[in-house]
Amino acid sequence: MENKNFLQKIFTGRRGRKLREYLTAYTFIAPATILVFIFGIFPVGFALFVSLHRWKIKRGDMLGLANYVKAIGNLAYVLVFFLGLGALYGVYVLIKRIINMAKEKEESPWPCIFPGVIFSVVVFALLNWFYRALPQVLDISFLIRRLEDKTPAVFFQLLKDALRSETVLPTWRLFFWLLIAGLVVSGVVLRLWRNKRNLNYQSKFALLFTALGAGVGLLYYTFLQVNLAYAESIAEGVDPGIWPQVIMISGGVVLLGLAWLLWRRAEKQDSTWRFILYLLGALVLLVGGWLLIGEIPEIVAQGDEDLWEGLKVTIFFSLGTVPFQLGIALFLSILLFQKLKGSNIFRILYFIPYVTPAIASAAVFQQMFSNRESAPINMFLKLLGMAPQQWLNEPKGIITLLGELVNLPIPEWAAGPSLALTVIMLLSIWTYVGYDTVIYMAGLANIPDELNDSAEVDGANGWQIFRHITFPLLSPTTYFLSLIAIIGTFKAFNTIWVLRSNLALGTTDTFSVKIFIEFFEKKFYGYASAMSFVLFAIILILTYINNKTQGSKVFYG
Amino acid sequence: MANKSKEKNPLILSPRWKIIVYLFLIVITVILSVVFVLRKSTSPLFLYFLGVLYVVILIPVIRKLFQSKKLFTYVILILGAAISLIPFIWMISTSLKSLGEALGSSFFPSELHFENYIEAWRKADFSEYFLNTILITAITLVGQITFSVLAAYAFARIKFPGRDLIFSIMLSTLMIPAMVFIIPNFLTVTWLGRITPIPWINNWPALTIPFMGNIFSIFLLKQFFAQVPDELYDAAQMDGAGHFRFLIQVVLPLSKAPLMVILVLSFIGSWNSLAWPMLVTNTPDWRPISVGLMQFVNEAGQEINLTMAGAFITIIPILIIYFFTQKQFTESIARSGLKG
Repeated sequence: MENKNFLQKIFTGRRGRKLREYLTAYTFIAPATILVFIFGIFPVGFALFVSLHRWKIKRGDMLGLANYVKAIGNLAYVLVFFLGLGALYGVYVLIKRIINMAKEKEESPWPCIFPGVIFSVVVFALLNWFYRALPQVLDISFLIRRLEDKTPAVFFQLLKDALRSETVLPTWRLFFWLLIAGLVVSGVVLRLWRNKRNLNYQSKFALLFTALGAGVGLLYYTFLQVNLAYAESIAEGVDPGIWPQVIMISGGVVLLGLAWLLWRRAEKQDSTWRFILYLLGALVLLVGGWLLIGEIPEIVAQGDEDLWEGLKVTIFFSLGTVPFQLGIALFLSILLFQKLKGSNIFRILYFIPYVTPAIASAAVFQQMFSNRESAPINMFLKLLGMAPQQWLNEPKGIITLLGELVNLPIPEWAAGPSLALTVIMLLSIWTYVGYDTVIYMAGLANIPDELNDSAEVDGANGWQIFRHITFPLLSPTTYFLSLIAIIGTFKAFNTIWVLRSNLALGTTDTFSVKIFIEFFEKKFYGYASAMSFVLFAIILILTYINNKTQGSKVFYG
Repeated sequence: MANKSKEKNPLILSPRWKIIVYLFLIVITVILSVVFVLRKSTSPLFLYFLGVLYVVILIPVIRKLFQSKKLFTYVILILGAAISLIPFIWMISTSLKSLGEALGSSFFPSELHFENYIEAWRKADFSEYFLNTILITAITLVGQITFSVLAAYAFARIKFPGRDLIFSIMLSTLMIPAMVFIIPNFLTVTWLGRITPIPWINNWPALTIPFMGNIFSIFLLKQFFAQVPDELYDAAQMDGAGHFRFLIQVVLPLSKAPLMVILVLSFIGSWNSLAWPMLVTNTPDWRPISVGLMQFVNEAGQEINLTMAGAFITIIPILIIYFFTQKQFTESIARSGLKG
């Protein structure tokens, strides 16, 4: 009874109504958030955990960076080193931000350092607990599988045992008490220094010290791993040469950054002499940087050849599909946009390949591009007086084949994508042109008619209108579509999986397909996870570069 | 002026006469064509005459097209449509051929073998795969729409601590490539299957539950829900309705369009998914149509009339859904694409 009164008190009044709102909101988002957490956020950490182990179906020994070294050679050390540096740069940015904010508001938020430090330690304590508890929890499934009756009670008993085992419990206690201490200190600071932005400062400091810990930790970890690698190599009597590589590549990146800065400065110079001087300086730095970074391919050559082959195929795939796809789509959308009779019907027809299930369209392409002489595409070639091709079974590069046609020997480096990959690229273009066209048409609809009309009055012809009005105003659409398309080529799996033939000698296997083979067929879970993180890193870098180069030129009318 | 030119050149007909002559020519052409088809007359003179008639009839049409400068546009558009459609036409025509003819070089079948469809359906076990896919899609959709609608409503219309943080963390997972998820999720699902009374592998949970928390659909619905005017909620609150009733009785009936898009997109998604079902099923019990079709294509191999029939069977449901919803579908794809 008393309890009910207490509850009633909490949930009435203005404060109570707010609380009720919060509760409703949390219950609304709970199912989706829990699912996204289990299958979308937790897996990232879990994959990282897997990638640091020897893991073939079952978990093996902790390997450290070995899987990454296997994939990308000594570049793995360099990347982790840079990750650490990046975290430290984050610390610098945060300190600057905090100081600026404090100066602007003329206040001294320094007491907030204490809870910040404790909370950052709490984060690491949680990670430590997670790291210790995960293997134990995973092992439950092996214990419970042998049991006859899987009642929830048995599971919870086993879970309790796992979480109370010697290695896990102390880490949990540490985390728990640190959390309590953090909350207490935070409360004290909140009382002592009453300010609207108190919690804001606390969280900033917590983030700062977490980044500091992560940065220092990563650098130290790199140091340990490199030392380990050195010890192993010296035992074998070879010099791994990791430190010189780290220094050279870091130097190269720094030089490139400086060159970029000088370049930007040069644009602002008034006098021609200064402009040329700056430009020359930038050029020298650029060349120096490239020379130092030129080390990368050699380092990478120590890594997994298969993976680089996959990356090469993916890059061919991107370069061979995205520009064509977007170009054709832009052309078609401009034609369709003239409000012709039946343009709606054309739009519906163009969109059909996009909605067709990928496996079905891949099956059709497989037969149309079959190596049978009587297959449609070979018949078409015959009509043109050309010899039938092997298509999906052809590992030779398309440029090599074109060269053979006119008796021109083509060097190996210029072979281009294999004919098999070209067929897959055609399928990809065929599929996505309709989608791109529809989105371009939406972009065209956003361009106000007055612009075109006034340009026409000024005497601009069709091409000029396109070049100076339509195309620049479509740049956000182009940017969006190219980003989606490039990421899409890195994800591409279904059609390639159906169309890949052993005779094509793996020339059609993109990065994703390589990862899947490593995982699904060879069962190297740890190594496949490491590869997937390399893919993630590549996508992040590409998005960043795309943002920097194209994003600044995008014109949002 | 007009009278003068008429007097000068009596051969030029008035517009009304022009139409009458034109219609007369069309009627003659049609009659002669019918005669030609029925009699299969091959007299060269007759053919020549018919050809000239066709040219005379078509000239004004072509001239009209040239005058409006649209001929070129139409030629390109029709060419594009042909390239989009030829694979489908070839698939359907091959699926109706006998095996010998399918391996030959003719484009169209000489006689129609509709029994290929029955044979493909039987050989590929499509009834089981179809049932599986429909069940998987239905279960996924029910979960996904329920959870997404609830979450999207809270993110769009209720203010609560941590809202933007949670939403942006969830949104950032869209960047991560699927291959990063596939290994840990496979391990998680195996683990869950061992500890829960129902197995997950080779069963519906592994195929549906991971897809119920879909960030893209939450995002899409959130954009839409945020546009619902606040006055509506105030009015509903006056009538004593809480958030849940407002959501069910006011917001949902307004948002048929985005729900339709989610429906079609996840339908296409489950029709397309290959890697994950291949991993979590190793018997046909719960395999979806995508894996079934791939297996059939691999097994039936050279019997391409059957594989094309099978491919066409799997396309039909998607095409039907697309044609019924195509207007909302393309429109909302365009809209969501621009904002995304």
